Amino acid sequence: MRSCLSAVCRYEFRMQIRKRSLWISTIGLAALITVAQGDRGPRHLPAGTDAAVVMGSWALLFSMLLPIGFGMVLADRLVRDHRIGIASLLAGLPARTGALVAGKYAGSVAATAVPGLLVLCVAAAGEFVHRGDPALFGWAFAAFAVVLLPGLAFVAAFALVCPLVISAPLFRVLFAGYWFWGNMLGPDYLPSLTGTLLTPIGDYPASWLIGERALYAGEPGWLSFLRPEPGGGAALLSVALLIALAALPLAFAGPLTARRTSS
Amino acid sequence: MSLWRYEARRAGWPACLAAPASLLATLALAAGSAGFGAPPPSVHGVLLSGVEALVPLAAAMAAVTVVSVDRCRELQLALPARYPGTLARRLGIVAGSGAALAVLLTAVLRLTGSWTGPRSALASVLVWASPLLGLTGLALLVAVLGRSVVLATTTVAVVWLCEQLFAPVLAATAWSRPFFLFLTSRAGVADGWGTNRAVLAACGVLFIATALLLLRRPERLLTEEEA
Amino acid sequence: MDIKISGLRRRFGRVEALCGVDLEVPGGMFGLLGTNGAGKTTLMRILAGVLAPTGGRVTVGGHDLATRAGRLAVRRRLGYLPQDLGLYPDLTTREFLDYIGLLKGLDDDAARRRQIGELLDMVGLADVAGRRLKGFSGGMRRRVGIAQALLGDPALVVVDEPTAGLDPEERIRFRTLLAHIAGHRTVLLSTHIVEDVAQTCQEAAVMAAGRVVFTGPVTGIVDRARGVTWEIVTQGPPPAAGVVVSAVGGPDGTRYRVVSPVRPDPAAVPVQPSLEEGYVALMREAAVPG
Repeated sequence: MRSCLSAVCRYEFRMQIRKRSLWISTIGLAALITVAQGDRGPRHLPAGTDAAVVMGSWALLFSMLLPIGFGMVLADRLVRDHRIGIASLLAGLPARTGALVAGKYAGSVAATAVPGLLVLCVAAAGEFVHRGDPALFGWAFAAFAVVLLPGLAFVAAFALVCPLVISAPLFRVLFAGYWFWGNMLGPDYLPSLTGTLLTPIGDYPASWLIGERALYAGEPGWLSFLRPEPGGGAALLSVALLIALAALPLAFAGPLTARRTSS
Repeated sequence: MSLWRYEARRAGWPACLAAPASLLATLALAAGSAGFGAPPPSVHGVLLSGVEALVPLAAAMAAVTVVSVDRCRELQLALPARYPGTLARRLGIVAGSGAALAVLLTAVLRLTGSWTGPRSALASVLVWASPLLGLTGLALLVAVLGRSVVLATTTVAVVWLCEQLFAPVLAATAWSRPFFLFLTSRAGVADGWGTNRAVLAACGVLFIATALLLLRRPERLLTEEEA
Repeated sequence: MDIKISGLRRRFGRVEALCGVDLEVPGGMFGLLGTNGAGKTTLMRILAGVLAPTGGRVTVGGHDLATRAGRLAVRRRLGYLPQDLGLYPDLTTREFLDYIGLLKGLDDDAARRRQIGELLDMVGLADVAGRRLKGFSGGMRRRVGIAQALLGDPALVVVDEPTAGLDPEERIRFRTLLAHIAGHRTVLLSTHIVEDVAQTCQEAAVMAAGRVVFTGPVTGIVDRARGVTWEIVTQGPPPAAGVVVSAVGGPDGTRYRVVSPVRPDPAAVPVQPSLEEGYVALMREAAVPG
């Protein structure tokens, strides 16, 4: 079971990391964010700003758009197995469906995490040239782990499983709309998940690193019980909730894949 | 007529459902907003945003699907009917159904006094038609150039999202204002609105024409898995 | 409808799939043999107008495929069955053929329907004409494929690996069908299955590594192995020299048939070669540098 899981994870990682579209979208989006961040972006934080604040801001900035590309990349992953005829082959193996799904999920998250971490490290290197603070690199890893990674784990789970039900094209439309509505649309404008603990953009962890409200975390709005004051505890709760939510679609992945293979 | 019926089936249900789904989402958001206690002007703003922002997004994503997914592509490319023409019929069906629904919703909103867009009926069409042309044209061009669904859908999603995120800056800056997709819902029918609509539509036509020119080399449509 | 190909090249990035193909295909059934990766599918796709060549010249029935008008003229008289034929699973057999017929410009509804009915009878799918294509077996899919290729009564039919993966009965049925339709047409059959060519074609070409290494009557392929095909019965290991084409175990030992320019064993005796052995001999010749 364990060897099967690690094998699937390893090869899934290799397949995803070799995807040209993964790298093109990462580089394109990272460049776009860096250029378009405006005067309030982390590039313009005053000299002497704490490294945690600088890298927390970069991580939040990247997590606004990078997961969009990753979600699009992963959206046809399980559907593609059926399209290219590999699903029947996998179904005939002694490996359990749960292990296959878990391995693919872990491999996919790892593959999207690598370019995500790399762009944060490049941002840290750029900031190091100006600020000369080596702690920037350490905080790049920390910011990646608490701001970007939980969001990637959340997006990967839904991007892998939802297209099995609603088709990849429809998922992509809904995903783009959801990302804006659930992450960046002000809660005073419309009832939305923006600013709640369930925001995969990492608003709460980023607010914790920055030491003040990063975007909308905790702002009054719909589902007020999910909008505690930002802080260390709220950030950890947000990460835990996102990971727990990611497990939800994965629980259905096995039966959905089996149903598709047998139909 | 039967050819059009077949092409409607070939466009696929996700592509044909995209526009109705976007309008349903608009209505759901407006209902949620009203239920949340938002004043009527805010609810009207949500409806206008849906028509201007969600319909073009759905149409552009559907266009990518229509161009990128075809089980019989190799056979189609060997037929005497030109494949770009076949794709154009499918895209026409998707765009036509979206347009019909958008016109219907606009008419209903105008009749019920919930419309906050331009007063003229023709200008009302441009609220959704111009961004639809611009975004769909971009989607088609990237899909043909990149031969990748992922690249095309990511580009559409990111352009759409960035224009939402940086709306105040894009609407206020002179060079970006003509290219801003959501001028009606974000800045109203103010100075430069007509220019903005014309530029967006012209860009869309230009993108579509370029994509069609590129499609004169049929192997441009074969993806990595097919080639 | 004759096909004339000269100096045809096609490059995919760094890989040269076709490196100077010269070939003339007369009317009737013509076989194109070659290993996987020899460039057969690339050649078929170029003939079908799906791919553009990187260099060289192709004319089909006098129409130059380098020009738009030429490609269109060829497509109007072409039936193409690609190697990986995708079918629209939500259409029935009849609907699929109707749709392709419309795209082929068969606008007369009654005539199109009549032709579809005839073709369905011919390929033995009349009973399932109203069934959706989803769930069709490989053999049924190929028969749908050949039916769509024959819509519009094309003068040239290009079929790429049509029998790969079919069971023997279905393969024989498909071969007979191809031979039947070749009566008044040019049928270009690309395959790596030697038996298919042996049973259906009088003329053939053999491709290896992007080049045509043989053109002529099928018997000419057999001639290539004359004098270099050997048989040996031994209880020892297989002969080290040459290529073992078959090995049949028996009470006296294993009976090997070997293609080798030199006698592989003192006990080996020369035998009459088969087409398959001729093909193996050709491939060996093509693999020898220079």
